[in-house]
Amino acid sequence: MLMKLVKHEFRATGRVMGLLFLVLLAAAVGANFSIQVLNGSSLSLLRILGALVMSAYVMAVIGVCFVCFFLMLQRFYRNLLGDEGYVMFTLPVSVHQHVWSKLMVTAVWYLATGAAVMLSFLILGYRAGLVRDILQGLAQIFRGITAYYALNGTAIVLELLILAFLGCVAFALQFYASMAVGHSFSAHKIVWSVVFFFVFQFASQLVGALLILLLDETPVHQLLLSLNFRLEGMAGIHIGIGLMAVVFAVYGAVFYAVTVYFLKNRLNLE
Amino acid sequence: MSVLECNGLCKRFGRTEALDRVSFSVEPGRIVGLLGPNGSGKTTLIKLANGLLTPSEGTVTVCGRAPGKESRAAVSYLPERTAIPTWMSTAQLLEFYRDFYPDFRMDAAREMLDHLDIRPGQRIKQMSKGTREKVQLIMVMSRAAQLYLLDEPIGGVDPATRDYILSTIIGNYNPEAAVVISTHLIADVEKVLDEVLFLNRGQLVLQSGVDQIREEKGMSVDALFREVFKC
Amino acid sequence: MRWQFSNDAPIYSQLIEQIKVGIVSGMFAPGERLPSVRDLATEAGVNPNTMQRAMTELERDGLVYSQRTAGRFVTEDRTMIEAAKRELAERHIRTFVAAMLRLGYERKEIAALLKQESAEEEKTDVGFGV
Repeated sequence: MLMKLVKHEFRATGRVMGLLFLVLLAAAVGANFSIQVLNGSSLSLLRILGALVMSAYVMAVIGVCFVCFFLMLQRFYRNLLGDEGYVMFTLPVSVHQHVWSKLMVTAVWYLATGAAVMLSFLILGYRAGLVRDILQGLAQIFRGITAYYALNGTAIVLELLILAFLGCVAFALQFYASMAVGHSFSAHKIVWSVVFFFVFQFASQLVGALLILLLDETPVHQLLLSLNFRLEGMAGIHIGIGLMAVVFAVYGAVFYAVTVYFLKNRLNLE
Repeated sequence: MSVLECNGLCKRFGRTEALDRVSFSVEPGRIVGLLGPNGSGKTTLIKLANGLLTPSEGTVTVCGRAPGKESRAAVSYLPERTAIPTWMSTAQLLEFYRDFYPDFRMDAAREMLDHLDIRPGQRIKQMSKGTREKVQLIMVMSRAAQLYLLDEPIGGVDPATRDYILSTIIGNYNPEAAVVISTHLIADVEKVLDEVLFLNRGQLVLQSGVDQIREEKGMSVDALFREVFKC
Repeated sequence: MRWQFSNDAPIYSQLIEQIKVGIVSGMFAPGERLPSVRDLATEAGVNPNTMQRAMTELERDGLVYSQRTAGRFVTEDRTMIEAAKRELAERHIRTFVAAMLRLGYERKEIAALLKQESAEEEKTDVGFGV
């Protein structure tokens, strides 16, 4: 059943996302053209046009990221908490499957958006030498990092990308949880959703602050010191990123639990 | 075994008592009218049976099971509002129902849609409100479920559509399944019902057969309803 | 067939009445196979269980009989159909007479009025004929 939910979820989002990617890539082609032809033109009108196309491209990149993020939130809201919720929550599937299907599709579209933006960079720079320059630059950076830190440079970049992805998913879960809680009220559902988003934000910051306090000058801190870790610079960074990933995962898991609890026990469709 | 059974079912929203100790059961093969004025708790009761709400007290079971993933496979539910995803085309909607409900009768659904001249490529979004309601009803009645919960199926539709809806319900009658129809338009559905449940301010005030009422009181259920709920 | 229902009598008894009229008037011919309960119920817009009940009663009266697989048929016994017709007629006459008595007519006057009425009917019929 989960895969069936995922299938129809892709069907629901595919058209808009596909269109969005097309617009982005078209903007990239336009920007490429403007770099190669228009900018070099002697006509100032064409140069202005080129600048406009370039800024349109920048807008498209930013726009695609935002629209992707908000479209995924809107799907959750519309499909589960709006009128469609009557159909969705009477399907013979569990609430866990509902939330997972949304989460999986959201994750795939985040990754696809990332890939589309990368691709658009490549198109932008194609033949203008930018790609070569960028690739060369990157290679140089990597070579430099590798020379300095052994293989770790590339690994860290990858780890950071995974971390960013985890962060996005966890953040989406925080939005899900606030909507699930907000919509359990009989009235002013959206207002309550917003309120709970900030409550959650505040709560997670509070917990973070408490954790830092806990690590500072407490028995826990002493314990950690007594363990006497010996980490070399690079290993420290890896473990740091790993810890951050765990923090994001826990952060996401908490909001997942809140979302499921409220959808299961406190559902209150209009 | 009863298809639907409520025992001391209560639902409170804050301080308001939407349902107050409601107990009854519905047997297979029956078409039951859930009747009451607006705000009497009809929709709340149907939502509880679907697991869209959780009871404050008491129990509700469908084919012996508490509402959940398994019970939903046995229930075909028509919400009081149009809830089918509007971005879908009719063909996609058929596929959606086929994917999730093994008891979905594709041929029956296609035939009913053909009968209304609804093309498979047509998007729900492009349909009129009345057509959407009919499409939703077709999806619900095309399932071979054990319990049909129809919330206000004839509220706010024109007389021709109302006749269409009622004849679709009768035409899909299955002696193994039960149908619960909630409405406040009693005169229109009376002939279709076996028995009626009267709800008033969250309480069950009467459960009786339609012909039993006519025989014993010498009046229609509609007339009795007007008498019971006189303002 | 036009199905009509009043509010003061049980639906199943009104169904019996109307199917009887259908048989007596020849709309359902002797020996004819009747539509299925579901189809009849859909057509009349009534509950299939109620239609089933009406059919069971008609079977008990003998106006209708069922064959295990082939379905339900109108009886071929014409005397039985005649008797049903007579019974219906008598019931109509009784209600008619009761209504006339309430209006203050005497039985003789009622008979006279009926005769007069049928004479006029014949006249208009002839008129149309020409």
